Amino acid sequence: MQVVGITTQQEVYIGSKDRNFRINEFLIIVDPYQGDLIGEVVEAKTYNRYMPLSMHGELADSSVIESLKAIGYNIEEDTIYIGKIRLLNEALYPVETGSNVRVPAFYEVKDLMIKSSPDEGLVLGIIKNTDQMAANMDEKYKDLLYTFEEGELRKQKDIPYIFDIKSMHQYPHIGVFGGSGSGKSFGLRVVLEELMDLNIPTIVLDPHFEMDFSEIGQYMPKEKIDDYKDKFKCLQVGFHVGVRFEDLSHQDIKNLLDASSPLTDAMSNVVDILFKRNDSYNSFYNRLKMLAEAQEEGSLDRIVRRIEESSSDLERQGWQKRKEIYLNYDKTCPYSSVRGIIWRLNRLDNEGIFSKDIKPIEEGLYMGKLIVIQGSTRILQVFSTYLLNNLYHKRRDYKDALYKKTTADYFPPFIVVTDEAHNFAPKGYDSPSKSILKEISQEGRKYGAFLILATQRPTLLDETITAQLNTKFIFRTVRASDIQTIKEETDITEEEARRLPYLRTGDVFISEASMGRTIFARIRAANTTSPHRENPFDELKNKAKEDDNKFLEIIVDKLPINGDDFINVIKEIESETGLTYPIGLFEEKLNDLVEKGLLKKEKTPFFNIYKK
Amino acid sequence: MYNINEELKDKILYLNKVLLDKYKDLLSLDKDFIRRFIKKNVGPIKKLEKLTTDELSYYSQGGGILGVDGSNNRVGGAYPHFVEVYQGLAKSTVHRNQPIYKTDFYTPLYSEEEEKDILENSMEIDQSIRSKKLSTIEVEAALEGVRKFNPYAVIMDGSLIRYYIESFDKWMELRKECEEKDIILIGVIKDIKTSIIGELLIKNKALSIKEPLHDRELLYGLLEYGEMVPIQAEVTKKAEEGFSSLFMRTSEAPNVIGMDILDSQSRYLEDMARLVFSLTPKDGRGVPLWIDIVDCEVRIPDKMIRGLLESYLDREILEKFFISERDKRTL
Repeated sequence: MQVVGITTQQEVYIGSKDRNFRINEFLIIVDPYQGDLIGEVVEAKTYNRYMPLSMHGELADSSVIESLKAIGYNIEEDTIYIGKIRLLNEALYPVETGSNVRVPAFYEVKDLMIKSSPDEGLVLGIIKNTDQMAANMDEKYKDLLYTFEEGELRKQKDIPYIFDIKSMHQYPHIGVFGGSGSGKSFGLRVVLEELMDLNIPTIVLDPHFEMDFSEIGQYMPKEKIDDYKDKFKCLQVGFHVGVRFEDLSHQDIKNLLDASSPLTDAMSNVVDILFKRNDSYNSFYNRLKMLAEAQEEGSLDRIVRRIEESSSDLERQGWQKRKEIYLNYDKTCPYSSVRGIIWRLNRLDNEGIFSKDIKPIEEGLYMGKLIVIQGSTRILQVFSTYLLNNLYHKRRDYKDALYKKTTADYFPPFIVVTDEAHNFAPKGYDSPSKSILKEISQEGRKYGAFLILATQRPTLLDETITAQLNTKFIFRTVRASDIQTIKEETDITEEEARRLPYLRTGDVFISEASMGRTIFARIRAANTTSPHRENPFDELKNKAKEDDNKFLEIIVDKLPINGDDFINVIKEIESETGLTYPIGLFEEKLNDLVEKGLLKKEKTPFFNIYKK
Repeated sequence: MYNINEELKDKILYLNKVLLDKYKDLLSLDKDFIRRFIKKNVGPIKKLEKLTTDELSYYSQGGGILGVDGSNNRVGGAYPHFVEVYQGLAKSTVHRNQPIYKTDFYTPLYSEEEEKDILENSMEIDQSIRSKKLSTIEVEAALEGVRKFNPYAVIMDGSLIRYYIESFDKWMELRKECEEKDIILIGVIKDIKTSIIGELLIKNKALSIKEPLHDRELLYGLLEYGEMVPIQAEVTKKAEEGFSSLFMRTSEAPNVIGMDILDSQSRYLEDMARLVFSLTPKDGRGVPLWIDIVDCEVRIPDKMIRGLLESYLDREILEKFFISERDKRTL
């Protein structure tokens, strides 16, 4: 292997007669004047000048090549291998042409490849094409993980990719980009497993109900199993957790209502006027309701008449109250806006948001657990706005208090993780959750609050936030507009961008500010599996089988069944199991079983007989 | 797009008409008639079989095949301000890493033979010196290859008669060496320039034509893929110089190539034809791949010769003698 052709300070071509090059492979150029220069293969080619690509048909056919071989000349030996190497650090002078090239030993590349230790960082996968260097790797980096290759579990052969979580203090926030099926969600799962291993307080917004870690992958070797059962908690919005109404500020309640559906200025004004600090849901709701009812009467005279016409004290007091509210607020709160607020408030309440609080989340974070918050995308948008504001400010208050030397309750640093992040922080229009995510992205670093945002549409993610993602995991991406965004937002090269649509599932470019270059890695096999793993088509098949067996079980002791006797059999079944079949359906099911070979049908002149 | 001059277009149309007129007899010739004529007067048309792997490995064990080719290239302008370099290569299929190169150069500005007046050294002499130099280094390369590798056979690129004419002494040396060691010596002719059949046609009054047609024209598309015609000794002039020859079609392309062999080795003629046939790609131009490979390695590209001269000639000499006005134009 040696340097050939014209060289520059950044890039050189290398040629070899007997060794093919792999893309992303690391090689050392032994420059006689500048010493060892390390570089990465960015393009690999082979060429045989006797087998040129010819469009005019002159190709050496195999019989000729075989004949030549038989008389002693193997044309394949004339194949040469060419690689383009990009130096990791620019050289002072152009590389000397003719310099030798060699494979580096592990210790020479260790600092380039590994920035953390397996105990302190996130062991996310392997750095691809590093197996040659991994041969003399330290023991502590060996056998850390398994990868999936072509559906099979493989032992680790390459250098592990360990994400230095501590570097997030300097280079905060991670973006995970990739189309569906690219391994994005599964990469996110691996990241979360590692966060659990390190007991880092984490909140996961999970609109897909997939971040459950209780099921250990069947494929994992027994001795390697990590149990995550005690390290995470799934909480559903409105069921396990919710918003404590009494804690809400004016802004909170406006955010919540806005998330439910956008507020007009007038509505926002209504909230400002009518909402009182420490209002309970009921007190606020009643105030709104009474004002609306009073406004429905139409004028003060009518309300006065209602008071006079009241048949009971209670009713009178009620209308008295309405009158007061009416006098105070009617001028400033238009009826339609009041109705709008009532409608939105109702909607949130129906989803159960106000019935619980976020105590379980806070407790979990204190214990360094991973808290998975599940709900529909819309409800998560509403809830996360409140939750993140709340948690972030708790953390912020604590840190600020430390700085000001006053006292405040301890609140731990934490990481917020979400899939489909473009729903929470969309580009181009405002959404309540966006403002808090933006705030965390911009100043969370100071307070120890970090984001891991996954999305299949980086183009749709708010640009300010994207710009703050210092580490990006880029999985297979096919959409041209997304590739364009990725090119703009990362240090990924033109060649790498061209490879994006063809990456294998689980292969990923990691663009890390702390590394200063892009790493080509493969995510390790996850220890746990998603609950949505079953193929829906398998599910259909299994379900049909299950149904057949169930039906067979019910009728097995009624066999043989005569065609003229269906009604009695059905009656028997009904009394035994409580299941009723119409005659038509019952016959259809029997015929179906016959077709599948589970029953036999015998034809007689009068009716069919179904038997085993 | 080019702006085409009307007159130029008319001239080309005229050329087409003239050639059509002249060759209308040839173009309307009956294929079977010529084939019959060839069989009767030139030699039998035979179908060739490719060599089997066993036969080929027998050749390989017998020393392999030595391919020989030469190349020349020049820098400079009109006579006498140019320099020409020659390179000859003999490469054995068995000893792939030991190619034998021979090189030489020529410029009318410097004559190796006794000083003559430059003016007297006419263009014709110039041309013959150049041909001689090229032939000589090819023969020298072959000679060294024969001595060094003792191959089963030697394939020269081009007619053997060329060496006989242009480099007689060296040629006889090579010929003797091969005959003594029983090394088969053949030449493969990509562009046949003979008119053996054409002359016979006139002689036998088979056709009413005045000028003899070239074999290339007559044989174009006439032979089928894999067919050959050994030329009977009495009809070829080459026999006098000691060669046997044949025509054959070795690829799907309709053109025909020629092959020469020493008359003392004419018993190998068919075997060698089969060898050449085996080494030629079916979809190719009819040239054996081995010759193409040697040709490719011996070639002196323009860039290379320029680079050499620029690196190793004094700038003043280069500019003064060998850079023509044409080399400097940029439009």
